[in-house]
Amino acid sequence: MIATKEPSQAPVWDRRRSEKQRRIEKLGKLADGRVIPTNRIVEALETLIAPGDRVVLEGNNQKQADFLSRSLAKVSSAKLHDLHMIMPSVGRSEHLDLFERGIARKLDFSFSGPQSLRIGQLLEDGVLEIGAIHTYIELYSRLFVDLIPNVALVAAYKADRKGNLYTGPSTEDTPAITEAAAFKNGIVIAQVNELVEDESELPRVDIPGSWVDFVVVADKPFFIEPLFTRDPRLIKPVHVLMAMMAIRGIYERHQVQSLNHGLGFNTAAIELLLPTYGEKLGLKGKICKHWTLNPHPTLIPAIESGWVESVHCFGGELGMEEYIRARPDVFFTGSDGSLRSNRAFCQLAGQYAVDMFIGSTLQIDGDGHSSTVTRGRIAGFGGAPNMGHDPHGRRHATPAWLDLLQTDNPLERGKKLVVQMVETYQAGNKPTFVEKLDAIDVAKAAKMPLAPVMIYGDDVTHVLTEEGIAYLYKAQSLDERREMIAAVAGVTPIGMRHDPKKTAEMRTKGLIALPEDLGIQRAEATRSLLAAKSVADLVEWSDGLYNPPAKFRSW
Amino acid sequence: MDKSQNLKSNSFIELNARERARSILDTGSMRELLGPFDRVTSPWLKEQGIVTQADDGLVVAKGTINGQSAVVLGIEGSFQGGSMGEVSGAKMAGALELAAEDNRKGIPTLAVLLLETGGVRLQEANLGLAAIAEIHAAIADLRQYQPVIGVVAGTVGSFGGMSVAGALCSYMVVTREARYGLNGPQVIEQEAGIEEYDSRDKPFIWSLTGGEQRFATGLADRFVQDDVDSMNAVIRELAKAGVPASLRDQRIDEFLALLDSIDTNVQPNSAQVREIFGKGVKA
Repeated sequence: MIATKEPSQAPVWDRRRSEKQRRIEKLGKLADGRVIPTNRIVEALETLIAPGDRVVLEGNNQKQADFLSRSLAKVSSAKLHDLHMIMPSVGRSEHLDLFERGIARKLDFSFSGPQSLRIGQLLEDGVLEIGAIHTYIELYSRLFVDLIPNVALVAAYKADRKGNLYTGPSTEDTPAITEAAAFKNGIVIAQVNELVEDESELPRVDIPGSWVDFVVVADKPFFIEPLFTRDPRLIKPVHVLMAMMAIRGIYERHQVQSLNHGLGFNTAAIELLLPTYGEKLGLKGKICKHWTLNPHPTLIPAIESGWVESVHCFGGELGMEEYIRARPDVFFTGSDGSLRSNRAFCQLAGQYAVDMFIGSTLQIDGDGHSSTVTRGRIAGFGGAPNMGHDPHGRRHATPAWLDLLQTDNPLERGKKLVVQMVETYQAGNKPTFVEKLDAIDVAKAAKMPLAPVMIYGDDVTHVLTEEGIAYLYKAQSLDERREMIAAVAGVTPIGMRHDPKKTAEMRTKGLIALPEDLGIQRAEATRSLLAAKSVADLVEWSDGLYNPPAKFRSW
Repeated sequence: MDKSQNLKSNSFIELNARERARSILDTGSMRELLGPFDRVTSPWLKEQGIVTQADDGLVVAKGTINGQSAVVLGIEGSFQGGSMGEVSGAKMAGALELAAEDNRKGIPTLAVLLLETGGVRLQEANLGLAAIAEIHAAIADLRQYQPVIGVVAGTVGSFGGMSVAGALCSYMVVTREARYGLNGPQVIEQEAGIEEYDSRDKPFIWSLTGGEQRFATGLADRFVQDDVDSMNAVIRELAKAGVPASLRDQRIDEFLALLDSIDTNVQPNSAQVREIFGKGVKA
């Protein structure tokens, strides 16, 4: 035994619990039970949070706990500093004001779309330190391992006085974030649009009150953006062509029955071609039955035509509430009838349970690596890498998964389809296919340990451009894979490497397919194939249940 | 409900200017004058580094409506916002003048203007403005003999000097997605401030300048759904109706009296505007 200088102290096993109690007691009468008055939230945050705390702030892809983030940015940096912020999505300017004002120091996040440029600048100025950039599931997972939060700041539509929360269609990340804090003696504070007296006045309870320490009525309803609405009016013939190729050359060929679609005009075009082109090919009931995606308005015609059996959602989409309520056989809804979304589960579903991920990107290199990080912009990952890879933990077989088997080896496993669907050039004449990803130099400049690659080349099974489809999973060597990518890369720097003499050989071998190989005449690819050509058409398809946000109305 | 109906809808707005013109004329009767293969393009745009269009964004389509001689003048909204330049303006004015000539020669010819335009093409400045003035004069001449029918379908709408042309027409036809006004929303916002006029507030914009409102306030004569057959039927009906008994620009005193009666201290909403105009303007 080792001798100790001092008499041995009884071990302490509840430091986090007593610290939580201490802070809550210190708050004293400021709160009325669990309810913090709106006008005293800054004071309350100064009391309930301590310097150096890990604070999860609910900034999701769609909804934002913006009253809490605006209030946190108003605390005194003498009282609160060196916070370690954990945010699924850094989307609002005050998220970064926290760092500029010296309230926070370190950031772990997943996605940063609109703030990507400013993060890059703050990082360069040394105002902000990045722990890591994560995928969504990865970030939620770390909340239970080495990023356990002291405080969680979340958003809900409604709460009662006992802290029961109704998050409804926009449940999104709230359960995952709240659980990590609530069950490890963290403090959970929820901003709500409306406070009711009793549980009976809530449409339903999404988060039980015993998980929540405080609620505060926000000065205005939480910010939410209809990120996943695409106006069919803006779909171009090239999107229609690529959508036809996807349906014919990938969905039909591999019998893709379960899938994720991201946002973008290409996938919106696919959704709108199912009731027309897909119907003509006799594919209804054979493909696209189960979906993990946000409730895209452009999916309405396919749902109404009987293509879609189920949809599980990451989040909600403004305007889709009543439509979803009227289609509970398709969507996940609560006892009150409204949508229940859950980003953590939907991400897992998109990772393990679907046949195919199809997405877009800003840059692809000659090996098939892709990234949305371009010079000066640290955009983060979001969920694409979770869904855009072949999960080695998968053990169930589906026709599509088995269709990618390449040998007779009884121990070979199937493969998830990971499809990159891109035009060879982006807006502003920037090539999509590049010699070197910008991500490599960005990583170097920001001293990041890894280049921020969205989807690694060896996970990509198909590249689809307006030129054709490269069936990369068939490549026998890295050289062959490069040739296949170059063959569909148009006149970009990578495409110029392609030897046109090889095209015929690769087409014969089935390594690449041009539209004509799939029985598609380019001239057929017109907007007349779209099941809905405008937002007004979507409203009509929905029997008036879809209520488009003002910015998508043209009447 | 039979959802397959949704797939059969035949949008007029979806059509480009040439297709719209063809859909209005009697089947098989359309022939194009100064078409894209004649390559009469704007001499000014290329000097400013802007790619020209082979018909300068204006389709002159000759043919028949109800078997009667007609010319359809279609502005292509997707080219430079449907703006009127020297060439496109001259094409429209010239075609209207020739139609009036035909009428004088005993060949009754009516005209349909498909207005998808922000007004004058700023790159061509006075030359575009001069052309629009010629268009106005030509409409005033032609409408004595036969109807000149203006159509605003969307999505561009009609603004600026070409809306003055619309006001000179014998009849105006609008859809729900049309916007029809003198100054465009962004111009008003710039001049009056975002507090007074937020150009991004789409329901607000449509509530004041949208097709439904313009019809309700009597500034348009027909409100049709976005459907090729419905549009075709309305044009045919108006072509048959002939020259109207009174024209809007002959009722200036009536409009001025209305404007004088408005309290400009409050910004009227859609319903109030309907009430004000409902008092006396409806023909």
